[in-house]
Amino acid sequence: MATAEIPYQETVPLHHPKTWLGKWVFSQDHKVIAVQYGITAMAVGLVALVLSQLMRIQLAWPDAMPWFGPDEYLSAITMHGMIMVIYLLTAFLLGAFGNFCVPLMCGARDMVFPFVNMLSYWVYLVSVIVLLAVYPLMLFTDVQPTGAGWTLYPPQTITAGTPGADWGIVLMLASLAIFIVAFTMGGLNYITTILQARTRGMTLMRMPLTVWGIFIATFLGLIAFPALFVSAVMMLLDRLIGTSFFMPAIVSLGQKLSYSGGQPLLFQHLFWFFGHPEVYIVALPAFGVVSDLISVHARKNIFGYRMMVWAIVAIGVLSLIVWAHHMYVAGMHPYFGFFFATTTLIIAVPTAIKVYNWTLTLWRANIKLTVPMLFALAFVLTFIMGGITGLFLGNVIIDIPLSDTYFVVAHFHMVMGVSPILAIFGGIYHWYPKLTGRMLNDTVGKWHFYITFIGTYVIYFPMHYLGFVGVPRRYYETALGEVYPDFYPASAHDLNVFITCAALVVGAAQILFIYNLVHSFFWGRKAGANPWGANSLEWRTPDTPPSHGNWGEQLPSVHRWAYDYGVPGEETDHIPQDVPRRAAS
Amino acid sequence: MTEATVPNQESVFTSTARDWSSDITTFKGVPWGKAMMWIFLVSDTFIFTCFLVSYMTVRMTVTDPWPNPSEVFALAIPHELFGWQFLEAPIPVPLLLIAIMTFILISSSGTMAMAVNMGYQRNKKGVIWLMLATAAFGASFVGMQAFEWYKLIVEEGIRPWGNSMGAAQFGSFFFMVTGFHGLHVSAGVIYLVIVALRVGLGHYDKTNFEIVEITGLYWHFVDLVWVFIFALFYLW
Amino acid sequence: MLIAALLLLVVVGSVIFNFLSPWTFLDIGSNWALIDITVYITFVICGVAFVILGLYMVWWIYKYQYQPGRLAEYEPENPKLESWLTIITTIGVVVMLAPGLVAWNDYVTVPPDATELEVNSEQWRWSYRLPGADGVFGHAHNKYITVDNPMGIKEDDPFAEDDIIITSQTIVIPIHRKVKILLRSKDVLHDFWVPEIRAKMDSVPGMVTYFWFEPIREGVFDILCAELCGRGHHTMRGEMQVVSLEEYETWLDAQVTWAEYKSGTLPLSDEAQKGRSVASEGGCFACHTLDGSTAVGPTWKGLWGTIVELEDGSSVLVDEEYVRESIADPNAKIRKGFAPGMVAEELNDEDFSALIDFLKELVPAEETSEEGAVQE
Repeated sequence: MATAEIPYQETVPLHHPKTWLGKWVFSQDHKVIAVQYGITAMAVGLVALVLSQLMRIQLAWPDAMPWFGPDEYLSAITMHGMIMVIYLLTAFLLGAFGNFCVPLMCGARDMVFPFVNMLSYWVYLVSVIVLLAVYPLMLFTDVQPTGAGWTLYPPQTITAGTPGADWGIVLMLASLAIFIVAFTMGGLNYITTILQARTRGMTLMRMPLTVWGIFIATFLGLIAFPALFVSAVMMLLDRLIGTSFFMPAIVSLGQKLSYSGGQPLLFQHLFWFFGHPEVYIVALPAFGVVSDLISVHARKNIFGYRMMVWAIVAIGVLSLIVWAHHMYVAGMHPYFGFFFATTTLIIAVPTAIKVYNWTLTLWRANIKLTVPMLFALAFVLTFIMGGITGLFLGNVIIDIPLSDTYFVVAHFHMVMGVSPILAIFGGIYHWYPKLTGRMLNDTVGKWHFYITFIGTYVIYFPMHYLGFVGVPRRYYETALGEVYPDFYPASAHDLNVFITCAALVVGAAQILFIYNLVHSFFWGRKAGANPWGANSLEWRTPDTPPSHGNWGEQLPSVHRWAYDYGVPGEETDHIPQDVPRRAAS
Repeated sequence: MTEATVPNQESVFTSTARDWSSDITTFKGVPWGKAMMWIFLVSDTFIFTCFLVSYMTVRMTVTDPWPNPSEVFALAIPHELFGWQFLEAPIPVPLLLIAIMTFILISSSGTMAMAVNMGYQRNKKGVIWLMLATAAFGASFVGMQAFEWYKLIVEEGIRPWGNSMGAAQFGSFFFMVTGFHGLHVSAGVIYLVIVALRVGLGHYDKTNFEIVEITGLYWHFVDLVWVFIFALFYLW
Repeated sequence: MLIAALLLLVVVGSVIFNFLSPWTFLDIGSNWALIDITVYITFVICGVAFVILGLYMVWWIYKYQYQPGRLAEYEPENPKLESWLTIITTIGVVVMLAPGLVAWNDYVTVPPDATELEVNSEQWRWSYRLPGADGVFGHAHNKYITVDNPMGIKEDDPFAEDDIIITSQTIVIPIHRKVKILLRSKDVLHDFWVPEIRAKMDSVPGMVTYFWFEPIREGVFDILCAELCGRGHHTMRGEMQVVSLEEYETWLDAQVTWAEYKSGTLPLSDEAQKGRSVASEGGCFACHTLDGSTAVGPTWKGLWGTIVELEDGSSVLVDEEYVRESIADPNAKIRKGFAPGMVAEELNDEDFSALIDFLKELVPAEETSEEGAVQE
């Protein structure tokens, strides 16, 4: 049945900025906002990178930095974790990729409410400034950044034994609340655009998997971030006016505090009701991006598209009922363990299907080993490693000896640190030509890839074994003079030194990436409209880089799914989505 | 079978499946703003759900006794007004103030629904007056809430961090949740007034009055949340 | 083609590393062999899956390299293959989950013959309580905690009198006797963990959490705190000795009951009492004990007037000058066997002299005569 529906965006005029400021700074163009999000996230990510290097140096050579005491160490782990999870990964995958890909891949002229979208970025910037304000404040006042760990478990977070329990934590919580406001404004836009502003012929089941990943991830964000918001508000009240939401009667460092009757476990439930979906908020867009990269560069349709979509949906739904697997040793009711271990291991099935389908896409493909493809392949292997160690930790009884050890650190860095970052790198190498009109340098890109992939693998793979030995995470140092000498073998310390060396190399290698981004922007090879021979709509814009409004006079019409690669009997190995089907012969 | 009955033949499942598998829009005929408001309300629902579930958890597990709501929230009917004595002594009535507040808020939903109806009929005057009436109801709700807070804080000595009647969490949750809801109502009042003004200034004359319906969605949501707060804080 | 070789190297290298690695679980010291077995099953299933997937990737990347003009196979989906993969994965998951849930059921079901041991945690040390001869703990709550009642035991609870109070960081338990660990916390979350025992659980203020185990070999094991608990988290270490029953009885006889502990609390002069409050408010007792046990810092019991050995090998008399310096600049002189880490404090003269009086009264009368004796 031919639809007579006219896309609403064809009937409304687009907002066109008149000034330079309106075009490039307070821009309502989704592509500019995507770049703003991306640059801010990368900048704040560099702070996290430096912090991680400091922590690694401390662990390998405990006496190397006398000024880096337990307070500084704990502040570093907290800030590093929070930045990576929220301000880099969430902001980059949804703020930058979401903004860039959603309208282009759906065939929209822009987000449905560009002004709200612009506000989203500026509020995000405010949250970043509030977060990092603690560092300049540290120089002039006695405010310390909070050292509560990124999980912010009370009562520790706001009692005197923790660095930054006075104002550092207030800044952190305020920044989180502001970030959630920013995310909500952006997220509402992504979902409404995907649901209500697609172009002719673009049905949901023709959307590229990147859009599907972003769609479900944003939806998860909109129902998970409220839990973080609520817990942040309650903790702020505990800290600032002395309510006892999370605070029972305690004696902190010899002093009786005036709290009574609160529940520390309530915070953990709220936090992980946010925290577990957050893992998938980061992972699902990465899944989507990698699916598209593999299909495009292997010149073959993604294997089992429908299964891939339903796997994303299933993972999204299941992720809302697995949160307490982070709390197996938290002292909650023991019977929760049965339920949450079961749901957690069920989630492994759709996730495994995605991995199979990525691998099967390579079968009888025609693989071009471009830089984005390298990152996508590395993602798959890293994700398998991170995923199967998740099967250890999700199984409640195995979590008992391994929780709070370096096994956990290795697992979550593999699965939600390295994997999404490899996907982000792959995505940047893939879409940079469309965004700027120039290719990134291949040689520099390959060096960057090999060092990053091998480097991160040798950092985190051996780290699992430190966890088996029993090295607890978040320890400033493990040997304490003669009263308590080191409790693990000296060889394990050698391993720590090796890991630190690898980490330093990987950290330094990121300079290559930044150099590549900047250098290629000015002097890179001209890209042309569709350098990879890809099918999805963003490669079919009349201009490269796409102009404001993306599509010129006429919105594109979609006639097929995004994965028509290698169709038998065609002259080219790819047929873009807006090419009409031939009449049946 | 006449043509007019054909759409009725289609089951809800078929039509839903058709809409979801179609191009351009998933929710047919739903403007962007309305879709966005619905999604926002889903997100906001989770905020209130988290607040209320936390409240229920703490209330069920806290060991100190919980203050009796029908005493704490009682309001006395005065025995005299302006020197005219009509009762022997003041009569404390449990939940009187709250009953009035709830009645007002539910009534405001009624005027809001009428405003939306006027919007469909493009009756500008009706829209403006009914929206302003809704806003006035909302403002009086917030005013009464302020009075209730005053009564609790000044007369009964209840503080967010403690009270003399039992568990400290009573005040913590009460002030936090009703405060958060009050902020929603206040924001709604401002929103209503702005939209009413813009309707009056003719901003929507060339298009349609869907903004009235969107505002209405938000307002009904805030009312609905109040029903839950009312049940959980005052009746439990 | 470098990438195929590298991926192969990663897959093969991971397997080789796994078999050559000297780093693995410490020898098990409890009944929780079922945990190790579940880990082993998971290891095998996951390892096989990892190797198979990795090798397929390598093979296909190598085999299906780009050739201009060639077309990839056009096969959007293959329901049969996908169903099979789903079924196999599900079976794998069930095989891993089932023993896990069985073991978890054992873990949370405490056998009736288990004896109880209460572990108290605070920033940043452990202490312990046994139910004593009557086998019942006296009621305890954080609200009852005072300096003289560090575990918050209820004042007039008759069950409390014979409770055994162990304020040292070392706990001794007999081999082959099932023990149920009850965990309490004074301040923040902690986690009682002995790697050899495998079991761990958080202690949460306001709650009593538990787990149980049966020690199966004698030895001295480290107790670690496994839940971040503030700046001294890494210093929160203790020791668990698993000994034969006879040795345990000997040890147990030497421990004090709550009744003895209460009466043994030193009577203090007013000035010394004030010094004690100063120390308490300053958080000194987080690291320094008053009962002779070693914590993060040296104990204060009997410290005054002794000569102590320092990290650099020299010795110093504990007098006013030394105490003053150690408060203002804690890292100036570090006791041998202890790690630097104390935070400098500023005290006014009045508080300082009260603190000195307190330290002086912490030396029992009969020991004062041995002034100048060298402490180890």
